[in-house]
Amino acid sequence: MDFLLLLISAGLVSGAAYGMIAMGFALIYKATGVVNFAQGELVMLTAYVAFSIAGAVDLGFWSLLAVTVPIAMAIGLTLERIFIRPMLGEPAFAIVMVTIGLAVILRGVTIMIWGPDPLDFAAGLSREVITLGPIPFYPAQLYAIGCLAILVGLAYGFLRYTRVGIAMRAVAANETAALLMGVSVKRIHAVAWSLSSAIAAVAGILFAANFKLGPDMWFQGLRSFPALILGGLDSLIGAAIGGLIIGVVETLAQGYLGQGLREIAGFVVIVVILMVRPYGLFGARDIERV
Amino acid sequence: MSALLALSNVQVLYDHTIEAVRDVSLEIEEGRIVALLGSNGAGKSTILKAISGILGQEDGEIVGGSIAFAGHDLRRASPASIVARGLVQVPEGRALFATLTVEENLVMGGYGLSRADTETGLEEVYSLFPRVRERRGQISGYLSGGEQQMVAIGRAIMAKPRLLMLDEPSLGLAPQIIDSIFDTIVGLNGSRGLTVLLVEQNAQLALSVASRGYIIENGRIVLDGMAETLRTNPDVQEFYLGFGTSGTRKSMRDVKHYKRRKRWLS
Ligand SMILES: Nc1ncnc2c1ncn2[C@@H]1O[C@H](COP(=O)(O)OP(=O)(O)OP(=O)(O)O)[C@@H](O)[C@H]1O
Ligand SMILES: [Mg+2]
Repeated sequence: MDFLLLLISAGLVSGAAYGMIAMGFALIYKATGVVNFAQGELVMLTAYVAFSIAGAVDLGFWSLLAVTVPIAMAIGLTLERIFIRPMLGEPAFAIVMVTIGLAVILRGVTIMIWGPDPLDFAAGLSREVITLGPIPFYPAQLYAIGCLAILVGLAYGFLRYTRVGIAMRAVAANETAALLMGVSVKRIHAVAWSLSSAIAAVAGILFAANFKLGPDMWFQGLRSFPALILGGLDSLIGAAIGGLIIGVVETLAQGYLGQGLREIAGFVVIVVILMVRPYGLFGARDIERV
Repeated sequence: MSALLALSNVQVLYDHTIEAVRDVSLEIEEGRIVALLGSNGAGKSTILKAISGILGQEDGEIVGGSIAFAGHDLRRASPASIVARGLVQVPEGRALFATLTVEENLVMGGYGLSRADTETGLEEVYSLFPRVRERRGQISGYLSGGEQQMVAIGRAIMAKPRLLMLDEPSLGLAPQIIDSIFDTIVGLNGSRGLTVLLVEQNAQLALSVASRGYIIENGRIVLDGMAETLRTNPDVQEFYLGFGTSGTRKSMRDVKHYKRRKRWLS
């Protein structure tokens, strides 16, 4: 029983990381219709940025976040401006290729600046074990789950109650009609990139604090794909829940079936779920009526 | 006299090759309802897209002529700046944001407005269309066609239009709904002097509310005049109003200067 609880709690922690990374993917996909293959690299880059900030000034977790997130947003805006904006109106396939190129560039830049060796990064969190009931947690693990919940709340409020958030959904629903209402689609794309980079920074810092900070961290982007697809590709909240499910399934598969099964368990889940629900758990179906 | 909206010799190409509109000139004076009539593929929607500045969405481009609204050149204006000047379109097929609620659709119509203006705008739309108020919290994609058209018009009203362009508002709607929607349009024109450019295939209906009309065929304006004159023009009667003198409708192909196929509705 304790073994099961332990596996589930470990699964929720890695699932929280998947969920946060997948939310970043989902936000850009929702607003622009493109899967940003450089999302994992953004997570890695912003985590390294936070590492350097933490090395320069001694900050607690929240202050570190408060400093890193605006920098991440600026990075996202800049990348959008340089690499994505000129592609506006090009086929989605071409833009996806640009994000793949961008991913390779960001990996190179990260190794050039911070070197190839893994680094130790506590992100301003203590490493004293906290026990909740029968289960021991590191603070970073609880922060990961807590931050996922906060991001879900913020994303929900943003998309539902702010004008820009509603406009983002409007652009996703009908881009031409959004233009006709005076919405600047370019601005919405830029906002999506900067907010997605902000989410990437939170995800990156917490992943690094829980696991490690290394130049192979970009791979977590691909590892988060099952969560993204499970959640429905364009649903931020779906991505978060998808992340938790995949995380738990993976650790259970590893614990009860063996190490090798961890990697494939997530993909098995999405194949099964997509057969039942082709739009994922929370994806928007096209509403067709008229 | 200076028209509120003036198009002069506008030419539009899609994909750099397909000429959809050629040498179109039309003028709309402030406070009027003007009808733009024509069959499928004549170029009506293309003209509205050119005016709203959204041809780029479909690889279309204005390659000649000029479009002026209240003295401002619109050819290189952004869609947002065109809306901000008060030139607002209700697109063909409603084009609601199907996954958004009715009220969210309306809020998007007033995207450039302050919060207070949005509130008064919503109130105005709801009093214009009580049915829309009842449905305010519902996902707009699931409304009936008539309700969707009301939301589409309400959404455009939110932007405080000076000139409202409607692309086939009667399409696919039951007669009573069409009547009520046209009553609303005429009402807005009468009560606040809203200028209207009404695109229709239903010539009978459009000419009954418009003061002027333009008839477009194959991307060219082939006839224009006062609504009354157009209604009594024998060609228009025969081909657009369905009053064939021989008692049966002739095919368009029988007449040289009208080449288009058309289902003569109404
Ligand atoms: N995106 C496009 N690419 C290429 N050609 C187009 C495009 N849109 C329209 N056309 C062509 O331009 C011409 C005019 O089309 P338009 O949609 O303006 O007609 P319409 O008068 O609005 O017709 P309908 O009454 O059917 O809506 C047609 O021949 C059409 O095939
Ligand atoms: Mg049309």
